[in-house]
Amino acid sequence: MADIPQWLTRPEPYEPPKDRDRFLDRSIVSFVTLLSRFRSQSALERDLLWVSPVSKLAAAVLYVVLVSLARQFGFVYLMLAYAAVLLALLPARELRRCLAGAFAAAALAYLILLPSALAGSRYSITMIPAKAFVCVSFVNLLSRTTRWDRLTGALRRFRFPDLFIFVIDITIKYIALLGEFALQMLYALRLRSVGRNRGKYGSLAGAAGTLFLKSRAMSEELYYAMECRGFTGEYRTARVRPTWRDGVFWALNAGLVLAYFALS
Amino acid sequence: MIEFSGVSYAYDTAPALRDVTFSIAAGESVCLLGPNGSGKSTLLRLLNGLIFPTGGSYFFEGREITAALMKKAAFAKQFHQRVGFVFQDSEAQLFCPTVFDEVAFGPRQMGLDEEQTARRADDCLALLGIEALRGRQPYHLSGGEKKKVAVAAALALNPEVLVLDEPMNSLDPRTERALAQFLLQLEAAGKTVIVSTHDLRLAARLSKRAILFDESHAVAADGETAALLADRGLLKKANLVDWEEE
Repeated sequence: MADIPQWLTRPEPYEPPKDRDRFLDRSIVSFVTLLSRFRSQSALERDLLWVSPVSKLAAAVLYVVLVSLARQFGFVYLMLAYAAVLLALLPARELRRCLAGAFAAAALAYLILLPSALAGSRYSITMIPAKAFVCVSFVNLLSRTTRWDRLTGALRRFRFPDLFIFVIDITIKYIALLGEFALQMLYALRLRSVGRNRGKYGSLAGAAGTLFLKSRAMSEELYYAMECRGFTGEYRTARVRPTWRDGVFWALNAGLVLAYFALS
Repeated sequence: MIEFSGVSYAYDTAPALRDVTFSIAAGESVCLLGPNGSGKSTLLRLLNGLIFPTGGSYFFEGREITAALMKKAAFAKQFHQRVGFVFQDSEAQLFCPTVFDEVAFGPRQMGLDEEQTARRADDCLALLGIEALRGRQPYHLSGGEKKKVAVAAALALNPEVLVLDEPMNSLDPRTERALAQFLLQLEAAGKTVIVSTHDLRLAARLSKRAILFDESHAVAADGETAALLADRGLLKKANLVDWEEE
């Protein structure tokens, strides 16, 4: 190896010129948020709201259908109260995240329906944001209280093809892995963006290209690993057996279905 | 130059570092030793101002490095010029079309003209013995070559502090020896070199001082590398050597 050159042995007085690169910080924040969502998912040692993922998934679909079909305020308010009780069982951080999504959906629905309210339709402006709030709350409750691998496993009970479940599982895994890699690349770009970068979008495109090549290499490795382990297209996941809690849960759901017809 | 005072960091609710206190003087060479998952990589990210302590304070040359301070572009850029970082996965660090562009990226950013940039980039390539890779695409290099390119790219900024995260991972013995020799050369040239590793032989070869982290994510010992490596009980407790090993 060569000797250390003179310039490397002297401290370098350096005043960075001004440049606009807030987009890098914003991209980093988005990736950190995405990855923290995946981390908090994988950190769920056991599901919250203790019924099986199969029951939760089926119930969430049922609630969304019933709330969407409801024409009377009574049933929507009942479901709103029910969602509020379930939300109250969540830890504070999960509760905040669930509510943020639900309020955002309700606010969007309200904004879209504002013209109809001005035209005199008070029913829609009250009913539809409430329905949006309840539906998004239930979907968020499902997503925030159940690990995604258990949710995809639950799809087997609904006769979804193995390959479909496998693709979802792998997609979730690779979003997390490639997200971590992309975050590293953005960090690297920020660390070396010490001056004025005239081709900053070019650098970002370079990072995206590397990410693409990385994803291709990872998919090839995955394919070889599957071949080596004798993968034949059948993807087996652990079956979760229903417990007495599921029985109680479905008795409650039967009550909700009866309430739907009674209040209609 | 670098001072950590009671620094803690947690990812969501999982602690990565607990109450870490140490200081590193300019020109010093330090190894951060610890088993996998003991918080070394997190500490290096903190050192480089990529993430910020959730407890305690980190000072660089007397200034506390905070998220608010690093949002000031002028300070952040100067800081990143002074503290170079080589990632554990150097592949994630390479985003330019050729090796030369990769190494020249920093000097061009600093406003050096093309002649100075080329001289500096060539110096760095020669230092790492990778002149022959000048026109190659970084993504298609071997692991060892990528690592060398990443080191050259960080070095081209002429940082005062060079931080390396597990630099010898997946390198063959010859490349490992060459890189270790190079890091010693840098230290002799007055650079502050901070290396994280779980490789005890490398720590013994690289630095006089070592900071040992254990699985509780805290500093278990801070002192002379030789003395620290001689204390088998301490290394066993930190899970760096087997209990059966004698």
